[in-house]
Amino acid sequence: MNVNDYLIVATIIFCIGALGVLIRKNLITIFLSLELMFNAANLGFVAVSEYLNLISGDIFVIFIMVVAAAEAAILLGIAIAFYREKGTINIDDANELKF
Amino acid sequence: MEALFYIFSVIAIVSALMVILVKNPLTSALYIILCFFALAGFYILLNMQFLAAMQIMVYAGAIAVIIVLVIMLLNLAKIKGAIKDFHQIVISIIAIGLLALEVILYLNAAGEKKPTGIYTNAVINKIGNTQIIGEFLFTKYVFPFEVASILLLVAVIGAYIFAKK
Repeated sequence: MNVNDYLIVATIIFCIGALGVLIRKNLITIFLSLELMFNAANLGFVAVSEYLNLISGDIFVIFIMVVAAAEAAILLGIAIAFYREKGTINIDDANELKF
Repeated sequence: MEALFYIFSVIAIVSALMVILVKNPLTSALYIILCFFALAGFYILLNMQFLAAMQIMVYAGAIAVIIVLVIMLLNLAKIKGAIKDFHQIVISIIAIGLLALEVILYLNAAGEKKPTGIYTNAVINKIGNTQIIGEFLFTKYVFPFEVASILLLVAVIGAYIFAKK
């Protein structure tokens, strides 16, 4: 397969993830959409790295996985703290900074 | 190989759409596991078996299980009003559609680039997929590797501080 086909699939998945971040209110679903965007970026890295006969892209995917795992721990900690404060995880209730 | 590529593409895109369209967050979490498996299939097609195994173990194994655990802890299955109002959805869809269109147009217009590295599939298969990644991680990329371990430590401490009463 051509590298462009992989990149088009990665683009579509990235855009679906970005759309999910924009239209959903549920904090958990927004987090899942962020994971979709991470994975689309990973697919792009691996496809280009295979096309150019390099290894660097594959190494970067491993580091992105590390960042995604750290982000998962932090964001779910925030979700638990937010739920304890508000009793919901609807992000429209996060309005303390509104004036 | 072509048939496998199209099968994985359809599974990945449809399950990604279902992640953002279904109401129940638990169903979203199950669909995203399906999407992770389809992406692991792409990595195998791209001759990176080690990354496919990491994808399944780290994403589908660890991260998805943490998400499902939090959904269980917080009893989130019956949240109401999960989607924003109509106006905002229309603007978002137009903006994201334009983004997708621009990237795809750019991909079609971009010129050919010659492969620059020496690690063709034959070389990688001869040395071994895992061994070559390990060699790179512990020689050229050893400093980012150590920084990544400190990042994980910070994340553990941060998650503890956020979640504790």
